[in-house]
Amino acid sequence: MGEEATCSAIISFAGKLEDDSSEFYEQLAEKFAEERETFLEFAKECRQNKLLVVRTYQETITDALEACFIKIDLHNYVAEATLRGDMRYLDVLKTAIRLEEKASRFYFDAAEQSKSLLATIPRAFRKVAERRNNRKLKLKSLLESSI
Amino acid sequence: MTILEEPIKEVFTLRNYIGGEWIESEGELIDVVNPTNCRVIAKVPVSTKNEIDAAVETAKEAFLEWRRTPPVARARCLFRLKELMEERFEELSRVQTMEHGKTIDESRGETRRGIENVEVAAGMPSLMMGYNLEDIAAGIDEYLIRQPLGVFGIIGPFNFPFMVPLWFAPYAVATGNCIIVKPSSEDPISQMKIAELGEEAGFPPGVWNVVNGGRTVVSGMLDNPDIEGICFVGSTPVGRNVIYRKCGETNKRVIAQTGAKNFLLVMPDANLERTIASCMTSFYGNTGQRCLSGANLLVVGEGLDEHNYNAFYKKTVDAFVNAASKIRVGYGLDESVQMGPLRDKSKKRRVLGFIEKGIEEGAKLNLDGRNIKLVGNWPQTCFLNPSAFEDVTPDMAIGREEIFGPVASIMRAEGLDEAIEMIHSNPYGNAASIFTSSGKWAREFQYRVQCGNIGINIGIVAPMAFFPFSGMKDSFFGTLHGQGREAVRFFTESKVVIQRWF
Repeated sequence: MGEEATCSAIISFAGKLEDDSSEFYEQLAEKFAEERETFLEFAKECRQNKLLVVRTYQETITDALEACFIKIDLHNYVAEATLRGDMRYLDVLKTAIRLEEKASRFYFDAAEQSKSLLATIPRAFRKVAERRNNRKLKLKSLLESSI
Repeated sequence: MTILEEPIKEVFTLRNYIGGEWIESEGELIDVVNPTNCRVIAKVPVSTKNEIDAAVETAKEAFLEWRRTPPVARARCLFRLKELMEERFEELSRVQTMEHGKTIDESRGETRRGIENVEVAAGMPSLMMGYNLEDIAAGIDEYLIRQPLGVFGIIGPFNFPFMVPLWFAPYAVATGNCIIVKPSSEDPISQMKIAELGEEAGFPPGVWNVVNGGRTVVSGMLDNPDIEGICFVGSTPVGRNVIYRKCGETNKRVIAQTGAKNFLLVMPDANLERTIASCMTSFYGNTGQRCLSGANLLVVGEGLDEHNYNAFYKKTVDAFVNAASKIRVGYGLDESVQMGPLRDKSKKRRVLGFIEKGIEEGAKLNLDGRNIKLVGNWPQTCFLNPSAFEDVTPDMAIGREEIFGPVASIMRAEGLDEAIEMIHSNPYGNAASIFTSSGKWAREFQYRVQCGNIGINIGIVAPMAFFPFSGMKDSFFGTLHGQGREAVRFFTESKVVIQRWF
C-alpha cells in the first residue's frame, strides 16, 4: 500500500473494510440488545456497500486502464473494528464513530481521486461515503442520548 | 504485499474441444509457463492436421442445424454464457494473470471487454435484420436477408488470451456460424475456460470448438475448403504474407489485425498531468504488449519559439520519465503491482535487442529498464522495468519498428504538420493520439491522420464492442473489422430477394 494504489488494491481494501465493519456490527447487535435492530441494519448495509463497490469496479474496468493508479495511501484509512470483552456501550459507540469517520473519509477521498474515471466509479464511492457519514451521525446521536 | 490466490494449483494437460467432447490430442505436448515465477502451469498439445480436419468436419455438420436455430434461441446461449462469465469473473481474470503475466487490474479489464462483446452479440436478432422496400416496380417488392456462411477459424494472439477471440466468436455463432478457435499456445487456458462455459451455456456440440496447436493447425484452417473465413490477430509478416495471401488464394473472408507503431502527440496546450497519467498506461500497460500501446511520444512545438519549445520538451520528458520510473513491477496477482513481466524470455530478449539498437543508433536512454527492480522475490527471467529513450528519430529501429515491450521512444516535432508526416512515414496505421486543448488541432489530426483508431486526449484507443476495431496500412489486412456491426456483416452473406406474386 503506497501513496499510489492500484484499483484492485482499493477495491480489496473497501471489501475488507465492509467485511470487518459488518462483523463488528453483528457482534454489537448480539451484545447490546437495546440497539440490536440498528446494528443489524448497519451490518446489512455493509454487505450492500461491498456489493455495490465490487460490482461497479467489475462492470466499469476496461483493458484500456486510463489512470488506474489512484493517488491514495491506504494506510491512512485503517481503522479498528474490534469488540473487546471489557468495552462498555459508550466505548463501543466511540469506536464505531471513529470507524465511520475513517471509512467515510476513505470513500470521499476515493471518489475525489477517481473523478477522471468513468462517472459510475466516483458515484459509487460517494454513495457509500454518504451512507457511512449518515451512520456516523446516527451513532453520534446514540452517544449523546446515552451520556 | 498481498498476493491473490492462484486459481491453477496443479499442472494439467489441455484437451481439444471438438463436437462437444474434450478430446486428448495425438500431438506432442509443450509447456505453458507462468512468466512471473517460470513455473509450468499446464501442458498444451500441438494438434495434428487430422485433428483440425476432424474439427472442421464436425463444425460443418453442426452448422446445418445451428443455422436453422432461431436467432433469438442462439442469442439465449450467449446470455447464459455472459451470466457464467460474470459468475466466474474473478477466476477467469486470475487465470489470465497466471498464463500471461499481466496485472490483475489489466486481466479484469480484459475479462470485462470480452464480456462486452458477448453482450453486444446477444443483440443479434436486431443486429442481423435485413431491410426491404415495397413496390420497387409495379407489384414487386425487394428485400435483403443476412445468412450465415458456415465454419470460421479464429486464431488468437498471446497478448490478450481471453478477449481477442471474443472480438469474433460471439458474432460468428450468434449469426448462425460454427467456429474453431485456435488459442495462442503460449497462453491457451483462457480459451479452454471459455469453451467450458460455452458447453455449460448450452451451445450444441460442434458449434464452438477449440483446437490447440501451432502452424499445422493454422495451415490446416487455411487449406481447408470448408472454412469460409479466418479471423487473425498477430504479427504483420504472418498476417500479410500468410493469412491474407492464403485467404485470397482460397477465396476465404479474412480479418487480419496485425502490428502497430502508435504515435502519441503532446501539444503545448495539453493538460500535462492528465496526459502523463494517460501515457503511463498507454506505454507500459500490459507491459507494452498491446497493438494499441503507445510507442512513440512526439513532443510537438507548434507555435512555440525555440526557447519555449526546449523548455516544454524538457518539462514533458522529465514528467514522463519521473512517472515511468515509479511504476512498480512484479507479479500481477500482487495488488500493489502496476506492471507485470513480458510473456516469455524470448520476448524479453527481443526487447533487449531493441534497447541495444537504440543505444547504437545514438538515442539517449533516459530510463534504463534493464536495471530490474521488482516487488517481490521473482526470477528476473521475463522481467524488465520501463525504459524511455530521448532524441529518437523516425528512421531509427526503435522509432520505426514494433518493439512490443515497455519501451518509449520520445521524439521532437517542430509543428503539427511535421508530426503528421512522421506518423505517415511509418508503415503501420493502427492508432494515433493527440493530447491538446485545441479543438482545431484535434480536428486537423482526426481528419488527416491515416490510422484506424484515433485518440483525442486518450492514450489507449480501444474501440468498445459496439464499434469496429479498426486499423489501416500494415496494421490491417481485409475489408471488414471485428466487433459490432462490421462483424455481423463479416459473418453473414447478404442475399437480395425480389418477389412478385401473380
